[in-house]
Parts: sequence; C-alpha cells; structure tokens
Amino acid sequence: MFQFDRQFIHNFDWVMVVILLLISIMSLASLFSATWNGGPSPSPIFFKQLYFFLFGYALILLILNIDYNELEILSYLAYVAICLLLVYTKLFVDSIAGTQRWINLGFFHLQPSEPAKLILVLVLASSYSNREYMEKGYRLRDIVQPAAITAVPFLLILIQPDLGTALMLAILFTSMTLFAHLRWSTIIMLGSSGIVCGALGWLYGLKDYQRRRIETFLNPESDPMHHGYQIKQSKIAVGSGQAFGKGFMEGTQGHLNFLPERHTDFAFAVWCEELGFAGSLFFLICFFFMLFWGINIALTARDKFGVYLAFGLVMLIFWQTVINLFMIMGMLPVVGIPLPLFSYGGSSLLTTLVAIGILMNIRMRRFQTK
Amino acid sequence: MKKNRKKNRKRSPEQDIKDWPRERRTTRITHINDGELDFYRRRAMYSSVVLVFFFAALVSRLWYLQIQQGEEYKKLAKNNRVRYLEIAAPRGNILDRKGREIVTNRPSFNVVWVREKNRVDDELIKKTAQILDIEIAEILGRTRKMVGTPGHVPIRLAEELSWDKVAYIENNRMELPGIKIEVVPQRVYHYGNLASHLIGYLGEISQKELKSPSFAGYRSGDMIGKMGLEKLREKDLCGEKGRHYMEVNALGFEQRNLKGEEPLPGNDVQLTIDVDLQQIAEELMMKDDKSGAVVAIEVNTGRLLVLASSPVLELDKFLGGISIKNWKEMLSNPHHPLINKIIQGQYPPASTYKIVTAIAALAEGVITPENSIYCPGRYRFGNRTYGCWKKTGHGAVNLKRALAESCDIYFYQVGQKLGVNRIAEYALRLGLGRKTGVEMEHEKSGLIPTSEWKLKRYKKPWQEGETLSIAIGQGFNLVTPLQLALMTATVANGGTLYQPGMIETVRDPDSHIIEQFEPKVLNRFEDQANNLKIIKEGLVEAVNGRHGTARRAKLENITVAGKTGTAQVVRLKQYKHLKEEEIPYKYRDHAWFTCFAPAERPEIAVTVLVEHGLHGGSAAAPIAKAVLEQYFGQRAKKTDREGGTDSTALSTASHTSHTSHASHE
Repeated sequence: MFQFDRQFIHNFDWVMVVILLLISIMSLASLFSATWNGGPSPSPIFFKQLYFFLFGYALILLILNIDYNELEILSYLAYVAICLLLVYTKLFVDSIAGTQRWINLGFFHLQPSEPAKLILVLVLASSYSNREYMEKGYRLRDIVQPAAITAVPFLLILIQPDLGTALMLAILFTSMTLFAHLRWSTIIMLGSSGIVCGALGWLYGLKDYQRRRIETFLNPESDPMHHGYQIKQSKIAVGSGQAFGKGFMEGTQGHLNFLPERHTDFAFAVWCEELGFAGSLFFLICFFFMLFWGINIALTARDKFGVYLAFGLVMLIFWQTVINLFMIMGMLPVVGIPLPLFSYGGSSLLTTLVAIGILMNIRMRRFQTK
Repeated sequence: MKKNRKKNRKRSPEQDIKDWPRERRTTRITHINDGELDFYRRRAMYSSVVLVFFFAALVSRLWYLQIQQGEEYKKLAKNNRVRYLEIAAPRGNILDRKGREIVTNRPSFNVVWVREKNRVDDELIKKTAQILDIEIAEILGRTRKMVGTPGHVPIRLAEELSWDKVAYIENNRMELPGIKIEVVPQRVYHYGNLASHLIGYLGEISQKELKSPSFAGYRSGDMIGKMGLEKLREKDLCGEKGRHYMEVNALGFEQRNLKGEEPLPGNDVQLTIDVDLQQIAEELMMKDDKSGAVVAIEVNTGRLLVLASSPVLELDKFLGGISIKNWKEMLSNPHHPLINKIIQGQYPPASTYKIVTAIAALAEGVITPENSIYCPGRYRFGNRTYGCWKKTGHGAVNLKRALAESCDIYFYQVGQKLGVNRIAEYALRLGLGRKTGVEMEHEKSGLIPTSEWKLKRYKKPWQEGETLSIAIGQGFNLVTPLQLALMTATVANGGTLYQPGMIETVRDPDSHIIEQFEPKVLNRFEDQANNLKIIKEGLVEAVNGRHGTARRAKLENITVAGKTGTAQVVRLKQYKHLKEEEIPYKYRDHAWFTCFAPAERPEIAVTVLVEHGLHGGSAAAPIAKAVLEQYFGQRAKKTDREGGTDSTALSTASHTSHTSHASHE
C-alpha cells in the first residue's frame, strides 16, 4: 500500500502545490494581522493555525501514497465512524454557545461536522460511480440510497444545531446528484418538494436566532445593533478597503474589534479591508484558479470514481467559499460557514487540506491503472 | 489553454494504450467504459460555467463595495471608530464693580457611563453602585432618563466625587468598561449667598428645555442657569463646549487620543453691585431674621449698587440640583426666601409716598412751601375721622416740617386738593406703578390707583375718602423696593428718571468689552428743579432736624436726606391696645426708609424695606445708614472741605473713578 512509485515525482501535481502554498501564505498573513494584539510576538492562535497547516501538509504527503481507489473502501468505515461521533457529540458533549459541535481531544477541539462533509463527498462519489450508467438519467428511486446516506449526518448535524453545515451537506448532495445526471421529471419533482420542505422548515424547524438572522439579512436596518451588526460591520470593513486597502495590519474595523469573528468566519473581511480591491481580486483569482484546476483534475481523472470524487471535492471547497464570501459581502445571512484555508479552525483547515490532497492524488494517478 | 491541449493529446486513449505495458492496457480496457467516462468528464467541464458565474458575481460585488461605494464605507468606518466627548466650558465669572470675583468655577469630578452598543450590563451597574456607594435604583433611574440617546452620549451617574473614589475608578478602569471620570467646572460662590436672588443658580437642563430651539447645541445633563443672571445671561455665560476626539474600539475602550478642541470659557459679567455694600446690607438684614429688601442706586446713572433680598437663597443647596425636601422647606418658610422682594415684593409705600404727594402739590400749585396747615392730631372727613400718627398733633406745619415729621393731616388735606388722578400722574412720572425693566425675572409692576382704574377693577366709583389714604401711601398703593429707590434717585438728581441697570461690562475671554453700561434716561422733569429742592430740604430735615423721623440715619459729615414709612398690613382693632412686640409677626407693620446722600450733590440713594419691621425710623433707617457709611467710607468722617472737592469727580458718575480721583488728591 505504501510502496514508493517512481512516477510519484514525475506525476506530482506541482501546480496545486504552488497555488496551495500561495493561498496558505495569504491566509497566514491575514490571520497574523487579524489576531495581532499589539505584543512583540504573533498571537498563539497564529501559531496554532501554522501548526495545523504543517500537519495538514504532512497529511497530504501521506494521502498521496494511498491510491484514491483504496480510499473508497476506507470512506465507508469513516462514514460509520463519523456518524457515531456525531451521535456521541449530541449525547455526551456539553454545549458551547448553545450548540454541541466540538469534541475535546485535549490538544484540539474536533468539530466532527467538518470531516463529515468530506466523508460524505467520498461516500457519495463511491455510491454514484458504482451505479449503472443510464442514458436518460436517473430516476427518483435510483437516488434513494445516496439520499439516505446524506440524510443521516444531515439530521445529526441539524440537531446540534448547526444549520450552516447541515445545509452544506444538502448542497453537496444536490450538486453531486445533479452531476450524476437526473431526469428532468425527477429534477422538477425534487425541486418542488425541496421548496415545500424549505417553507415548512422556515415555519416550524428553525430556532428563533436562526430565523432572526435570515430576517435581519433581508432587512438589515431593523436591528442594526445586534444581528444586523455583523453584516453591517463586515460590509464596512470590506468597502472601506477601497481600491488598495488601508495597508497590511492597518485595518481599523478588524483591529478595533468592530468586526466580529474576525479570524474565523469573517477572516476574509480583514483581508479586504487591509489590501483593498487589488488584494481581494488577487485572492479570488488564486482561489478560483485552484478550483478550476480541480475541475481539470476531474476532467483528467482515470475513472468514474475519480471524476465524481474530484468534482465533489471541488464543490466542497467551492460552495463553502461562495457562501462565506457572500455572507461577508452582505449577500447572504450570517451562517457559520468558514472560508476554506482562510478561516481559523483546525477541523475545517485539515478537512480542506485532505480534500486538496485527494485531488492531487487523483491528478497523480490519472495515467495509472489499479 | 496550451497546457490543456497538451493534456488532451496525452489523454487520447490510443496514445495512452500504445505507451503503456500490456497488462496495464488490459485492466484499463476491462475496467472502463470510455463513453461513460467521457460523459462525466464533459459534465465536469460544463460545471465550470457555474464557477465562472459565481466568480464574476463575487468580483462585481467586490467592485461595487470597494470601488463604487468605497468612499461611503470609508466614512462609516471612520465614524465607527472616532467618538468625541464634549468638554463643558467653564461658565463666565461674575464680578462686582471693582472686579472682585463673586462667582467663579472650580473642577468637579463626576462619574459618567458611556454605553457602547446600548448594552445594559447588570454586573457593571452593580459594581459601579458599590464603588460610588449609591443605590442601583439611582443608576437605573438616571439611565432611564437617557433612553433613546445614542450610546456614546455619557450618562452622569454621580457628581462631586471625592479624591479617593476618583483614584479608585481610575485604577480599576479595565474592570469598568465605559465608566469614566468627567471633570466639569462647578460654580464657586466666593461670598456665600451674596446677592443670591440676583445671581441665581444652575440646574440640569430639562427635557422640555432641550426641545426648545433656544437651547440648540445643549445636551442632556448640561447645566444651565435656572434663575437670576445665570438664566438671563445664559448666552453670555455659557461659553462654547470643547470636544475631545478619540479612537475607540467596538467595546468602547479608548484606544488613542486624537486632536481635540478646547472649550471656550463664557464671558465674564461685571456687575454694578458693590460687594462691600451688598455684604453690609445683607448682614444687617440677616440680624434678627429680618425679611425685606435693600436697594442702593447711583442717582446720576441708574447703576444699582446694592440689590439685597432677605432671606437669601442658600445657593449651595442648588448645586447639582435641589432636593425636593429643600425645595419644600423654602416654599413653606414664612420669610419666603424664594420671593425676590426687590422686585416681587409689593408693599404700600406709606409715608415715603408723601414725597410724591408733595411733588404733585407743588407742581400743580395747590400749595406753596410756606403754606402751613394746622394739625390737631386728627382730621374729620365725611363721617370718618382720620388720625395723624402723632395723636397729640403737630400744630401748624408747612411742607418742610410736614415731610420732616411726616405729618399725616397735612398730606390728607393736600391730597384732597389734588385728587387721586393728579397724584397718580406724578407717581407714574417718578417710575412708580410700572415695571422698571431691570434684569430680573418676574418683576411686579406695583399699583398706582386712579379713579378710572377703580371703576374698571371694582366697578365702583372712587370715594374721596380713599384719596386721603392714597395721599399718605396707604390704601390701594403698592410699590416695590426697587421702584421706591428709583423714585428717590429721581428726586435726588433733580428729576431725571434713569433706567436701573446692574451690568457694568460684559467681557469675552480675551477681555474685550462686548457690552458696557450706558446711563439711559427714561423720563425728565424739566421744570421741577426748584420744587425738588424744597422737598429735599424737608427730607434733610427728617434726618437731621430735631424732630425728624429719620434721625437714626444721620451721618457726621455727609448730609443725608430721607423719608421713613410705616406701612400698615392690617387694621385690626383687636391689636390696637397691644404693645407692638405682642402683635403676631405677620400682622406687624412694614418698615420703610428711603434716602439719598450727600444732599447737596447726591450720589447714592438707598431704600430699605423691612417686612413687619414696625417702624421705618427704628428698623429700616439704621440699615440705610450702615450702607451709606460703607459707601462714603473715610469721607463720612473727614472734613467738609474734602467731601466738597470730591464732588467734581461725581460728574464722571463712576464710583471707581471717584475713589481713584480722591486718592490722587
């Protein structure tokens, strides 16, 4: 399994490595600024994230040595494990800030819902790639199994409650299912039932604070000091950066605490404030280049599982990015979706790095057979 | 694109198969249905359209926020972090005519709370209440008053902190976010309650006042003048607030000081009041808890030198807002400290009014100075007998003696000849019966009755018997002490009625004079100089004559001219046989004394009213005398010659220049 392949270096995905390093440096620089507290040395948060990056790179090197097809079998084990972890979290973990999301591992608080996204992508890729190809597209009954696979972690995360991550799972399922090619009739049927479910969920399923967040988003002036506050301050941070920003470490919104969650969910707002449109555009180009490169990996994957998997991983990173940035720029309500590679948090960072590792893995093995 | 093409070429199955070893080729072919794989590869390629779409959306949103709206957001970011605290301006000082400070400022340390984000922090309130040693309810009460104001507007929680509390709060500021020490100028009264009715007091601006346009720029918690000059001269005294700009973080902690604007102190108001004279007057009034008023006025200018109302207001009780208890106490005090008796106290002028009757009679020619009338002690008119205060009678009296000894019978008859309306005419010309327009609030106009007035007011015709009372200043007649002082000054200066004033100068903080006292003539009797001289003789006799009623006001080297008055409060038979001291306080007569000096070249007029003081000669005259003694100082004891030379300086009309002139000689 861990045999060294002489093609390893020859086929190594140097493009992804370069782009990943570039984004990592931007991310760490922004975190350095966001968490700097005026002291002589960077904050402990910065070092923690740095160690996570290094640990994540090591994980990538490890993953590159395993053929991704072998991950297919591992993914089912991981799926069962993560569901059990989610159940454990719900049952035995004390709630922090009203939700039960984190498991204390001593050195690090694991947030099982983060790897759950990745594992779901693996399992769904496996499920769809093993399905017999249908020229006309799949019917409803063909997607019952992947839907059920999604539903278990979805519900477990929803009751934590962590609406953002749960919706993320639903979006991943939707993306991959649409990718798998559905019949039009099925799409219409699912779409309309989705709307009904959404409406029912809004009326009965949402917690007060969740509903208020969405209401605030739709009418931010209604409550400017509380729930609209975050969106307002974030927009001010982004907008006040103007063309070239206030300068690295010079952002007032971030450094004077006006910006909430400035090293986690709103990390990119600090970047926008300090480096302006030029810096933000540079980041977006880098990030989307990485995503397009991921699509390219899907295009060149050697098998159906590889295509599904690469596509699913790109979607995992892509949707989180879009939702987070939309939220920062005031185009979506505040939902707790981090910006991959950018927001502080070990679970999210390691998950994203592993996802990138798998993408590199697929890329490397595009000419190989099993 | 180049790369892609290269890869596409590499990926073409034929080439792949050709390059690879045999067993690999077989596995690949069995494992993969190439058409199906290509289908999904195509789908993956199409999906990049979605990526492009969202990328475009994000970039355009960034463009909109940062480039198009950037300027706007930059301003918002700045407003976010820059706060200012207003710094109260020191109010202008109030000085006396010689520049002595009556009211100035000192720093007072207050505790304020800046509520960032409008959060009410129970823990903070509890801690603060404990430190300040006040009730939590008190803090909540003050907070409630400020609901609706922006969070950065400070709420004052406590005033006049002691040093140790200031130090404690400063040392523990990290645990008390938003709690700050504010240094505010506080009024200091260097002469205690001196001239309190004139100066007035400060109080916190009310919500109603805040809404009025005349208080634009004021904020809740500001102190404004609530009475007296503090109120009337608010615009002069208030100054301009300064601003302290600072950068704060989202929690309201000050991060950095930015440039600020220093407050501009208010204008200094110099009064025409003389502290020495005012002090003497107030001290003497305070003796035996007298209530009443003392007014001294420069006869040739209208400058007011003394404006004393007794009992005085205790100004210290008003600092930082008067308590309800203190307020009620003042309201229920039988001496009515809240009434400014100088202009709000209306009393029958009594015998002092005989001056008016005399002027009218001479001017109208109903008497000559030499005409004498026999006083048997009583006078019968209609079916009523009117008595003279001297029951044994004065015998034959002419005008001079009638004034000196205050013979009632003489004036009954003169008044009868004049009739009420002619007396009223002269009273009005002497400034009685109408507001003087002095800078004090709620001035009363007094009352000078005419037959027309009575008809209008009571729907009854005038009775001639009433004229007799009017002629000696009783009946409907009412005057304020200030009016009477003004009348005395007019008699003294030969017939010029001046507008009374109490503001000598108003100076801005750079000592530029922006307002200065100018004598203002309201009315002039052109042709009465001779008549007034005759009356003056009578008044001199009243003080200096052997039988004069006001002998207690006599000075050694200065000739004082004056008139006493004893105003009946009630005419009750049951008290007639009692000794004066046994009559209940509130039914005792009011004592008047009004005078001017030196009689030859008058400078100053002094009017004293002692409520329920019984006799003008005994209760009021000594107070006037003390004021005059203080005013003339050394001159009252020196030889006539020097007093005479001084009179040249009088034309300059200012006491300050007068003394300096004297010292040159």
